[in-house]
Amino acid sequence: METDLMALVGVWCAATLRSATPLIFVTLGESLGQRTGIINLGAEGEMLVGALAGFAVATQTDSASLGLLAGALAGGVLSLVHSALVLAARANQIASGLAVMIIGIGLTSYIGRAFVGKKVSSLDNLLPSGGEALAFFGPFLQQTTLAGPLAIAAAAFISWWINNTRSGLHWRSTGESAEVTLSNGINPIRIRFYAITVGGLLAGLGGAILSVDYTQTWAQEMTKGRGLIAVGLVIVAGWRPALVLPVCLFFGFTEAAVFKLQAMGITFSSHLLSTMPYVTVILVLIFAHLRARKSSQMPNDLKAVFQ
Amino acid sequence: MTETPARAAPFASLLGICKSFAATCAVDDVSIDIYEGQVLALLGENGAGKSTLMKLLYGVHEPDRGKIIVDGPGENPISSPLDAMRLGIGMVFQNFALIPALSVRENLLLAWPDTPVVIKKIKPQNDPVLKKLYEIAPQIDPFQKVGSLSVGEQQLVELCKILNLSTRLVILDEPTSVLTPAEAERLHGFVRSLAENGVGVVFITHKFSDVKACADRIAIMRRGQLIEDVEAQSIDHDGLVRAVMGTDATSRADPPGPPKSDQPRLQIRGLSAHSRNEVLEDINLNIASGEIFAIAGVSGNGQSLLAEVVAGVHQLDDGDVLLDGTSIARHASAQIMKPHVAYIPEAPRINGCVEDLDLGLNLALRDLSTVGTKPLANVRAELEKFDVRPPDPAKKAGDLSGGNLQKLVIARELADYGKAVLAVYPTMGLDIEATKAVYARIFSMAAAGAAVLWISEELDDMLESAHTIAVMRSGHIVEQFKNSHHLTRQKIGALMTGAHDA
Repeated sequence: METDLMALVGVWCAATLRSATPLIFVTLGESLGQRTGIINLGAEGEMLVGALAGFAVATQTDSASLGLLAGALAGGVLSLVHSALVLAARANQIASGLAVMIIGIGLTSYIGRAFVGKKVSSLDNLLPSGGEALAFFGPFLQQTTLAGPLAIAAAAFISWWINNTRSGLHWRSTGESAEVTLSNGINPIRIRFYAITVGGLLAGLGGAILSVDYTQTWAQEMTKGRGLIAVGLVIVAGWRPALVLPVCLFFGFTEAAVFKLQAMGITFSSHLLSTMPYVTVILVLIFAHLRARKSSQMPNDLKAVFQ
Repeated sequence: MTETPARAAPFASLLGICKSFAATCAVDDVSIDIYEGQVLALLGENGAGKSTLMKLLYGVHEPDRGKIIVDGPGENPISSPLDAMRLGIGMVFQNFALIPALSVRENLLLAWPDTPVVIKKIKPQNDPVLKKLYEIAPQIDPFQKVGSLSVGEQQLVELCKILNLSTRLVILDEPTSVLTPAEAERLHGFVRSLAENGVGVVFITHKFSDVKACADRIAIMRRGQLIEDVEAQSIDHDGLVRAVMGTDATSRADPPGPPKSDQPRLQIRGLSAHSRNEVLEDINLNIASGEIFAIAGVSGNGQSLLAEVVAGVHQLDDGDVLLDGTSIARHASAQIMKPHVAYIPEAPRINGCVEDLDLGLNLALRDLSTVGTKPLANVRAELEKFDVRPPDPAKKAGDLSGGNLQKLVIARELADYGKAVLAVYPTMGLDIEATKAVYARIFSMAAAGAAVLWISEELDDMLESAHTIAVMRSGHIVEQFKNSHHLTRQKIGALMTGAHDA
């Protein structure tokens, strides 16, 4: 009886992590950008481009890892549009982000028609077979691929890096004041370019994990606003990469719960049910906002975007 | 140029420097030598060209004519601050290049050339980037956010940042204009110890107290030209004033006579209020017609909030403000301000003008809803009367320098006689002549019957002119004195910082 319970917990944890993994990567990328004073609504488009490119490469090469690599690159390439508009042409970040998002949606809808209905094989599970004896880890590892642990490691690394290295300090100071950063002989434009590009790579990777590793299909606009959710989750996490992990896992848990409920045959409207993760994000956002009004963690130069 | 015979070769020599901005000549044929281990006070009025001259040395601007030789006869051209830093020249500007959201240590690491790739947590005592901080300001916690430090502490952090670049010459641009008297004294001591350790210091200022406290040598500029360059002990106070102002007018503004009646004109009763950073609790003040009531205090202890509440800009929680017996506390500020209350706010660039509007509109801000704008000729006359430079009604307020912006706000608020004057740091950033003019204007308004609430950190000026001096700390009036010669700077200073209990 007890082993059954542990197995159930293992399955739920695996489902939560798998659902959260794409979001963790996108949100990490977005929080890096915002820490340097750049908001990128284009993350949604970059994620979609990554999802399609990753899916396409994975079906052609039959290699999930190559697919993930291609997805990340595609996201990085699309992010160059945001860099060009915001850093070179000094366009408004919100408008530029929307443009990138729309480019991503349009491109993938058009090119993606050829890939609808195709199948792809995901990354290998960490534990192919056996291990039933391990109460919790057996079921957990059987349903987990390398992508999940990678996301956790990425969050840990980025959190350490931004707080404990010279380059991390330069990124943080750029987000607080590009002017002061420049006066210290550091080029804030270059740092923001790096941040947008890394954000694009991570969004693309997240998208590719979504299509190749998680759902293993391609569908039009399959990210369903995850790239935009990421923008909000950065705020919930208080711009701290370490907190991105629990915040995204919470979203993943809600989504996993919706699937489990549907699988259990709940007849409640599936459309309404699938909005649950988004509703919870909005609720958490409101809560976080009320709390954050007291002491703002918002990078100072990011405020300028909204003025 | 100096009178000391056996001095080593100068660290930097400026030869026949000229610099013009558009039509105005900011620096006109100035030659001066700067030595290591010496404190050079560069003295002059607002706009005399002191800061410009030093920015030329620091590479912010390049001279139109003339030559700058640094560190011996070899060619060491300075075309940017980076060049200057490499030669060991550091400059601390009036607005600091610090990031409030980062800690003191992180701010220092940001500018430090030897910051390691991975920043390890080291015991502060052994941390090389904190070495200077420990020498200068051991009381500052290196892990505190810079934003939570006082302005004086921030200045010390900025100074450490410059000294970390192993600097041979430090240029300080009006460093005491933002400091409390106690902080200024500490800075003077520190400047002396820098010079004793062989660092050259250029101290740009228009305060004589700075010069007396720490200068070895005094250079005086007027209208872009170098007027004097002498050893500090060879010139007295009157000589300094004459050289700075180019006149024999050494007297201060005549202090006003005693108030005519003790009938309170401006009354503050049981006033409580709070803002993000400041609180006021149960403030009771009575200011008579013609009385000059000064409030001394370290900035941030509630004085500016008090002025804002009285001016009707900020809400009060409890209590009342009466003008001639009528409550003005719960009215929109437009109803009670001009012609009744003149208000010179703190930080006039933010609180006292609209930067994007021209000077004419800024002068007419109080009248826009009733009278409309003033005729152009009147505007020009008013700008000239208060010596706003340039007196061009079409110029944007944001283009004025700090001192001239202050004069613009004063021109608007003090042009007509009212019942009360609220003056918050009214002479901040002003030179002697402008300060004198502002005081004269405020005193004449008092003589005409206005109640004056004067918030300041200029203790000497208060002791000379105010009828009543109150000390404010942590949102309370700590003590209130009738001004007399028994009252001293030290006594008020101790009350301001809370050291009187000891």
